[in-house]
Amino acid sequence: MRKNEKASIAMAAGLLLAATSAPPASADAGPISIGISPATTNAASPQMGDRLAFNTVIRNTGDKPIDGLIAWVSLVQIDQGKEQPIDLEDWSAHKAISRASLKPGETISTQWPMRLIQAGHYRVVISAVSREGSSLTPSPFADFVVRSKPVVESSRVLPVALGLPLLIGMSFIGWRRRGRDTG
Amino acid sequence: MENTMSITIKHLKLTLGSTEILHDVSISVKAGEIYGLLGPNGAGKTTSIAAALGLMPATSGLIRILGHDPAKEGVELRRRVGVLPDPNGFYDWMTASNYLSFYAGLYGARLSLSEVQKRLAQVGLEPKLGQPIRHFSRGMRQRLGLARALIADPEVLVLDEPTNGLDPRGRREIHDILIGLARDRGVSILLCTHLLDDVERLCSRVGIIVAGRTVAEGAIAELVRTRRGHRHFRLRLDGVSPKAGNREGHVMVLAQEGDWTIVAVDPSVPPEAAWSEILAAGWRVTEIAREGGGLEDLYLDLTDRRAA
Amino acid sequence: MTVHATIKAASESPPFRSPGNLNAIGLIARKEAGEIIVSPRGRGWLLAMVGALSGFSLLLVGSTELSLLDNAQVVYDMAGIVIALGALLALVVGSDAFAGEHERGSLTPLLLAPVSRRGILAGKIGGQMVAWAVMFLLSLPYLWAVGSTGQNLAGSILGLALFGTPVVLTFGLFAMGLGARLGNVRTTMMTMLVVLLLAASPLLIGPSLRQSTLGRWFDAVNPFSHAVNALDAMIIDSLGVAAQSIHLAAIVAWLIFALAYAVRQTNRLVR
Repeated sequence: MRKNEKASIAMAAGLLLAATSAPPASADAGPISIGISPATTNAASPQMGDRLAFNTVIRNTGDKPIDGLIAWVSLVQIDQGKEQPIDLEDWSAHKAISRASLKPGETISTQWPMRLIQAGHYRVVISAVSREGSSLTPSPFADFVVRSKPVVESSRVLPVALGLPLLIGMSFIGWRRRGRDTG
Repeated sequence: MENTMSITIKHLKLTLGSTEILHDVSISVKAGEIYGLLGPNGAGKTTSIAAALGLMPATSGLIRILGHDPAKEGVELRRRVGVLPDPNGFYDWMTASNYLSFYAGLYGARLSLSEVQKRLAQVGLEPKLGQPIRHFSRGMRQRLGLARALIADPEVLVLDEPTNGLDPRGRREIHDILIGLARDRGVSILLCTHLLDDVERLCSRVGIIVAGRTVAEGAIAELVRTRRGHRHFRLRLDGVSPKAGNREGHVMVLAQEGDWTIVAVDPSVPPEAAWSEILAAGWRVTEIAREGGGLEDLYLDLTDRRAA
Repeated sequence: MTVHATIKAASESPPFRSPGNLNAIGLIARKEAGEIIVSPRGRGWLLAMVGALSGFSLLLVGSTELSLLDNAQVVYDMAGIVIALGALLALVVGSDAFAGEHERGSLTPLLLAPVSRRGILAGKIGGQMVAWAVMFLLSLPYLWAVGSTGQNLAGSILGLALFGTPVVLTFGLFAMGLGARLGNVRTTMMTMLVVLLLAASPLLIGPSLRQSTLGRWFDAVNPFSHAVNALDAMIIDSLGVAAQSIHLAAIVAWLIFALAYAVRQTNRLVR
């Protein structure tokens, strides 16, 4: 699997835009509610390469069973000028859950792990739909910031890239001189 | 007879692709002799040597070196044979000492630096310390090649144009080395060259190859006598010149050409003996020059004077 | 007769012992390695190789748009470049092994030394391996410099050793065999360069090569493809080395074929 295959996820973007008017603490579109909170193990100030997780609780708040429930995670970058949906391909293998039926009052607790690939400001949201439902239920937003970590550190590359040719060149000159002296 | 032969090649044929390069080459080098292999460029001398050394597969014929077949026992046999090929290349980045040590190792010897330098000095090579071979003159390279050929104290030495690139003094030094090897150590030497002076000075017997075929082989004196009967010289005489047809001892007057008297010397005696005879008879000889009738004329005759 | 008796006496107690083939192979390998490390031409090549790796590393430092995922990509690219450069060095050294010596006139004395043709070839392969070992060691600081901030640095080094070595040797052996057959360095090198460019094209084209039938076929038979696919799996996808056995088998099959070709051509060498 190679990187750089950044297909846009139109659906996730559309859903997220639709959800931007939702209240921040909880969302309730019909009989489903979704609560989201960062895992306690999350680093306070994560950087590229770290792993984060978000816990969600999806509850049937109605009085009838919900059949054919699907919930999924969406991620968008919200840096000014770089607003874009993120292809989760490289960030997480755990992208969605499904449940055949959710009884009234019943909950589903799920953890959504992800590996932080690129620096920036991000917003994660979990969305759910059911087979019979007529609208989307989004979770509140969970925002996080990923600190930059140099992929290629110049402090390591420069000494090697500049020093090694110099070192080899000088050692060759040294061998040559020694060869001249000793035959 | 063959037991005393170091190198025997009989009716050698060699084909490369669809072209027959050697048609019928036969030579035999006796133990302890220096044998000259002559022929014009492209006659097949080097190819014959290559086949004899197992570097090229013979189509038919017999090849024996020290009684062994080089095609079957090549690796072991090569330990007893020293070769100076032409062209003679080196690892130019090495020093002469390193190069000789490397080859000594291939022959199973571990020579000390002083031993290596002794070997180099034997062929008159004393390079500067640490001087890579790429800075060597052609003559130095020839000497180094000879040192390499001698590295394993071979019983047979095959030399292809060994005095190429050497000045007259260098040539003389190499001649002396070769004469010493044959005389003192009994080394058999096959000398492949186009320098007839070298052959006349060093070799007792020769083989002449023309167009992939041996056209003459044997003792030089015998070949010359068989071919011409006599050796011809020009004499400058002070006083009265003898007339054509006159004979004095083993010298016969053939003609007068200006100041020169053309004579033939019977090949059964060395020229020096003939000169003693005519001096004793009162001929006042002031100058002697070869007029042909020697190896050079024989060679030119056999090669149709096309390629000297 | 006296002379002959002298020779006989001398041959009964030869001053030189018969050289062991292993000893001769070692000497030739050392000579070949020395030519790469000591000769001006060899030094030039090594410096050029290091210069290429330095250039690639410096280009990466200049990029500000690399994500963490690109680190794996960078390490993968660096490993691929090292194999390509190693194969290039091997084909240069291989082209020179017989053809170069033939042109410089140094092959005949070597063939006339008491060493079998296979022994000479083995020594030259030893020289190739030393050249690759030097190249491999020189690449380690670069892999560390670009890969130590990510994961799978160890995997890249293992992959480079395991898959790069037979691929590099395969190219070297083909170059040796072709050089022995043609006796001409320039023709051998040009032919092998074209082959290398073709074989290494997956490094540039990537997975899109496999989108056509011809591409899939090429990918399946090309040892270079197998090496880069194995590196891709190990470095980018973090898969284990055990899962790469098919790639390794294909590469080793090519290595055996190249060795057989080189042996055949060396045995057929004429002066």
